[in-house]
Amino acid sequence: MMPIWTKSGEKHAVTLLKVQDCHVLRYVSKEESGGKTAKLLVGGKNVSPFSKPESAHEIFKEAGVPRKQKVTTFNVTDDAIIKPGTPLYAAHFRPGQFVDVTAKTVGKGFQGVVKRWGFKGQPASHGQTKTHRRPGAISTNKAAKVYRGKKMPGKMGNIYRTSFGLKVWRINTKHDIIYVNGSVPGHTNCLVKVRDSKLPTYKDCNKNPPFPTFFADGDEELPEDLFDEEIFQFTDPSVTFA
Amino acid sequence: RVSSDGKPPKFQPPPKPVIIDRRTQKEERRFLSPEFIPPRGRTDPLKYYIERKDMIQRRKVFNIPEFYVGHVLAVTTADPHASDKSKRFVGICIQRGGKGLGATFVLRNVIEDQGVEICYELYSPRIQAIEVLKLEKRLDENLMYLRDALPEYSTFDVNMKPVPRMDHEDIPVNKLQVRMKPKPWSKRWERPKYNIKGIKFELPEHKMKAAQKWSQPWLEFDMLREYDTSKIEEKIRKELSEELEK
Repeated sequence: MMPIWTKSGEKHAVTLLKVQDCHVLRYVSKEESGGKTAKLLVGGKNVSPFSKPESAHEIFKEAGVPRKQKVTTFNVTDDAIIKPGTPLYAAHFRPGQFVDVTAKTVGKGFQGVVKRWGFKGQPASHGQTKTHRRPGAISTNKAAKVYRGKKMPGKMGNIYRTSFGLKVWRINTKHDIIYVNGSVPGHTNCLVKVRDSKLPTYKDCNKNPPFPTFFADGDEELPEDLFDEEIFQFTDPSVTFA
Repeated sequence: RVSSDGKPPKFQPPPKPVIIDRRTQKEERRFLSPEFIPPRGRTDPLKYYIERKDMIQRRKVFNIPEFYVGHVLAVTTADPHASDKSKRFVGICIQRGGKGLGATFVLRNVIEDQGVEICYELYSPRIQAIEVLKLEKRLDENLMYLRDALPEYSTFDVNMKPVPRMDHEDIPVNKLQVRMKPKPWSKRWERPKYNIKGIKFELPEHKMKAAQKWSQPWLEFDMLREYDTSKIEEKIRKELSEELEK
C-alpha cells in the first residue's frame, strides 16, 4: 500500500495489484453453462506443472498456456468474447474507472466469539467465575432449540470477500500494475480477482474503455504510466492555492 | 659524527613523506535518507523499486536537504485557509519515521509557552520549501523526551537566521545533556529500552538501579533480529546517484 496525493493536496491510501501472466483459457457459451450470459475462464500466475496429474492440464494445453495457479470465471456478454490463449494486461483497465476486488481474506484459524462476531463478553472482575469471553446464552426457553446459523466460535477468515466500488488511480503498463483506492481483502502477494464494478452509481463510469480488452499488438503505443486527472504527478512543482 | 673508516658517512636518503589523501577518505561518508531502506518483510522488491522511482522523481523537482534528528528546520507549506496561502513553521526535528513515500518527520517548538509538534510528510506536494537552519546531531535518534524536558530546550526563535556551515563534512554532534521536569513523565525515559544518552538524570541512585531491572541484555546478541543493510544501501546509493545525475 502506498500514499497518493491529489492536485488539491489530499492524501489517499492506494493498494498495488500486479497482473501476472493472465491468459484467457476457455469460452463457455450460455447454453453450455446454463447461466444467463456466456462465461470466459481466465487463469493467472504461472506455476510448475509437475504437482498436478496430466488430466488437470487439459484446459491449459488446449489454450497453449503453462499451468496457472488459479482459474476463475467471468460472466461476459456476447460482444466481449475473447479467443482462448490471449494474454490479458493491466491496460485493460483505465484510470478513473471503478472496480470490485475479490480475494480470500487472511485466515485467522479457530477463533472465539468475541473476535469472530464482535460479542462483548463479560466483565473482567466483580465476581465473574471463569467467564470473560464466552457467548453467554445461546437461545430462549420457549424456542427449545438452537437456531441454524447461531453465531458461535469457529474457523474465521480464509473465505472469499469483495470490496466494492474502488477507484483506479493509476496504471503502470510496463510492469502491469493497477493502483486501486483503499484496502483490498487478503494478505500481501495473494491472488485477487478484479472486475468492473457492479454498483449502480458507477454504471456509466467507463468512458471508452479498451473493448473487449487491451491487445498488445503494437498498434496502440501507451505511455508507461497512465494517471487519473486528479492525481498530483511528481513531475509537477509543489501545490499552491491561488 | 665519527665515521668508521675516515670516509664521509653513507648517504641516508630523507624519509619518504606519508601522503594521506583526505579526498578519498572523505567520500566514504555519504548520506542515504533512511526512508529509502526497505523494511524487512516478504513484500515483492518490485514495489519498493517503483516507490523509489516516484521518490526520485519528486526529489528532482523539489530539493529535500540532508538532515538528521536534532537539526532545526523551517518548513513552508501551502494552506488554503491562511491569508498568504502559505504557512512557515520552525522547529527541531525530534523523530523521522515511515518508509517509502509515506516518510514523515516531526518538528517541535515552544511558541508563547505552548509546546507545538507538527508531523510533516517528506513527499507531500503541499510542502513548498524545507530549509535547514542549524545543523547538529544529538546523542539519540529519537528526541521525544524533549516533551518532558524544561521548555527552554525546545524553544527556537521563529525568525532565526540560518547558521552558516563551516566544512562540507562532519556534522557536529551536540553532547548536550538535557534537564527534565519533575516526574511523572510521559514515558519512563530512565529505562534501558529507550537507551537515552542525552538526559541528565537527577534521580536517586536506587531508582536508576531499579530501572535496570527491565534491561534485556540478550537482545543485542539475538541473531534473528539482525538486519544487515550495508549491501542494500550500496545498491540504492548507486541507483540514486545514477538517477539524480540524469
